[in-house]
Amino acid sequence: MITSPAPSQTAPARQWFLARQDLDELIQAIRATGRRVIGPTIRESAIVYDEIQTAADLPAGWRDEQSAGRYRLERRSDDQVFGYTVGPTSWKRFTFPPNLTIATAHRTSFGFEQQVAEAPPVAFLGVRACEIAALAIQDRVFLGSQFTDEDYRARRAAAFIVAVQCTTSSSTCFCTSMGTGPEVRDGYDIMLTEIEDGFVIQAGSPGGAAIVAKLPTRRPSHAEAGAAVDNVESVRTQMGEPLPMAGIGERLKLQLDHPRWIQVADRCVECGNCTMACPTCFCTSVVERSDLDGKTSSTERQWDSCFDVAFAKVAGGDFRARPRDRYRQWLTHKFSTWWDQFESSGCVGCGRCIAWCPVRIDVREELAAIAPPIPPVVHPVAVTPVAASPGTYSVARLGSVRAETEDTTTLSLTDLDPAFLSGRPGQFVMVALPAFPGVPISISRFRADHIDLTIRAVGPTSTALVNLHPGAKVGLRGPLGTFWPIEEAYGRHAVVVAGGVGLSPLHGLVDALVANHERFESVSLFYGSRTPEDQLFRDDLAAWSASKAIDVAVTVDRAGPEWKGRVGVVTTLFDMISWDCSKVTAFVVGPERMMQSSVQGLISKGVPADRICVSMERHMECGIGLCGHCQMAGRFVCKDGPVFRLDELGDMFNREGI
Amino acid sequence: MDDYAAVLAMLNHTWFGAELSPETQERLAKLGEVQDFEADEVILHEGDDAKEMGILISGRLALRTLVPERGPVTILSVEQGDIFGWSAVLADTQAQSTVVATQPSRALVIEGTKLRAALKEDHALAASLYPRVLKAVARRLRATRLQLLDLFAR
Repeated sequence: MITSPAPSQTAPARQWFLARQDLDELIQAIRATGRRVIGPTIRESAIVYDEIQTAADLPAGWRDEQSAGRYRLERRSDDQVFGYTVGPTSWKRFTFPPNLTIATAHRTSFGFEQQVAEAPPVAFLGVRACEIAALAIQDRVFLGSQFTDEDYRARRAAAFIVAVQCTTSSSTCFCTSMGTGPEVRDGYDIMLTEIEDGFVIQAGSPGGAAIVAKLPTRRPSHAEAGAAVDNVESVRTQMGEPLPMAGIGERLKLQLDHPRWIQVADRCVECGNCTMACPTCFCTSVVERSDLDGKTSSTERQWDSCFDVAFAKVAGGDFRARPRDRYRQWLTHKFSTWWDQFESSGCVGCGRCIAWCPVRIDVREELAAIAPPIPPVVHPVAVTPVAASPGTYSVARLGSVRAETEDTTTLSLTDLDPAFLSGRPGQFVMVALPAFPGVPISISRFRADHIDLTIRAVGPTSTALVNLHPGAKVGLRGPLGTFWPIEEAYGRHAVVVAGGVGLSPLHGLVDALVANHERFESVSLFYGSRTPEDQLFRDDLAAWSASKAIDVAVTVDRAGPEWKGRVGVVTTLFDMISWDCSKVTAFVVGPERMMQSSVQGLISKGVPADRICVSMERHMECGIGLCGHCQMAGRFVCKDGPVFRLDELGDMFNREGI
Repeated sequence: MDDYAAVLAMLNHTWFGAELSPETQERLAKLGEVQDFEADEVILHEGDDAKEMGILISGRLALRTLVPERGPVTILSVEQGDIFGWSAVLADTQAQSTVVATQPSRALVIEGTKLRAALKEDHALAASLYPRVLKAVARRLRATRLQLLDLFAR
């Protein structure tokens, strides 16, 4: 694989100063080696790369004004030669031509004549940092596997690179976000940095050093060297805070069904400008062209675009028949699957696709809308868990047993490590008995000298637990997991929505909300159960209902005639909400489908997604993220949860198969 | 009690009535009659002709259906602001469940024949009322589907 020209081996590279009026000396020195010089020129009101003969052909004194769907050239107030960014063309058209004859065939001899790559020596003058990154990406694409493009290899090897560091940026530039600029680090033969009356120049290869040696240079002054650094650094400042691109590949993979794909596809006119202007897009088609007598034909490779309506068509159908499919393919390839294929991003942040989109689609906005950064999971550990490692247990004694319903029992555990008493509502413990596997149980209540575990008998361990008698010993590990962020509800309407046994992990939270009710605008509990007989904590429900500190509304799915209360699913209770829901913080637990309906109901009323917390349940065997069972879209429910903010889960909440 | 302004105010205070146009509220207030029900009073029997539609102004009603082996089962409660007897919007239909007041309740009750005649004659009333009834039925259907899933079952 050909790599970019090796950087100078002397570190730091020696720098020289070349006066602006001597720039043509550089061009002529390069031409004298037999190379054509390709550089920026003005054609049809844009700066495009074309052959130049002298420095006078360069667009000195011009700048570009770029934004989404807009490109204009304007006069500068000085004579800077490279005071603009990138135009519609990239070096790709010289290393990977838009049209290339790759073979000819002659019917008379029935042979196929492969075209030999012709790559006359050429110099690229004015290659920006992002463009050097683009060349490196194309090196990986065309030369990085067992199948190579020899035409590209030849053209790439024949190219002498004169890099120019950017001293300005456009609003469409985002190289700092992609890690590709503004500084040029390597991949050049000669590098120029423009300052007030000339260039700080340095060589990056023996060939570059040979050229520089022929130029009328001198050593730069300290001020001149400093100005070169400052001019480039100022570009970084101009571009502002980099976009949050960390993990964008994985984030996009999680959003393949995002509704924004349809919205952006509705705007996109599928002109393919973005793929044509992009310095790394490489899709092509092959066409056969024949002369009129059909005796000689040529095979031509030409640039194609995944936006083309027939790009993914086969005889049996079209794999990407819808515009949304094609737009999604382009964006996810560029920012996500390119990593899987070539171990790098496909984007260098040059911004061409933004400037040259006729409908002003800005990929940065689309990425922010479709795959925003996943908020970091905060692991506020209230207390260090006891006996965290599987196989170790701290022993507690069963103080009392209380039947809540036919199949649900509350065990009060006492004589236990004080760490368990310092846990927080929402956390759980791993509970075990000898000869029974450990199971995760939410701590339903924290008291001064004991904790309550409310257990539904659904398996061997839970059944054994609910059949224990006071005085029995149980093994505990914990407290584990995240807890309800009660502080986030201060000053707001705290709404607790519980379904069935989901009230268990919320019990401690309701206790805390009631005890500190003056810190909240209001406190409400909406609780649904299957039947009145399935309600948990009936004494507490009655006490809370009688309390002025909390409004309690309960409903059941079905009841006999003796029940005079509400009958209907818990979401019907949301009709009672009369406050400004933008000021609600909600805590929701129940069967996942019930949580999803509740969350939908709350959001439709105006509760923000980042103000809704849920508690997730998954199979756990270790409780500390080592057994792998409880993974849910990259998160461990045991240690990143079980309490999650809804926006942390995003599209993964209630998604099938996650 | 039948003070017209008071009826309008009550109607405006209900979920169902609040978003109706003022003209529709007025029309319903004139078509209907405010009725009070005692606790445990049966308002409608399952299978009866659907003669009346009601908008619950206060109190609570239980919708019950008879399951022979289990007796009457309350499948839904109607809370303040919601409607009952929506079948009366359609001619020749029967009540889908028995409606019982579980506590003292008050409702604006509209006789079915008068309501249907008004809807037929007054297109603006129909355009305002039908979507609201449909929305009420849709809400009930969504909730019923969740109940059907029996999510809390063991």
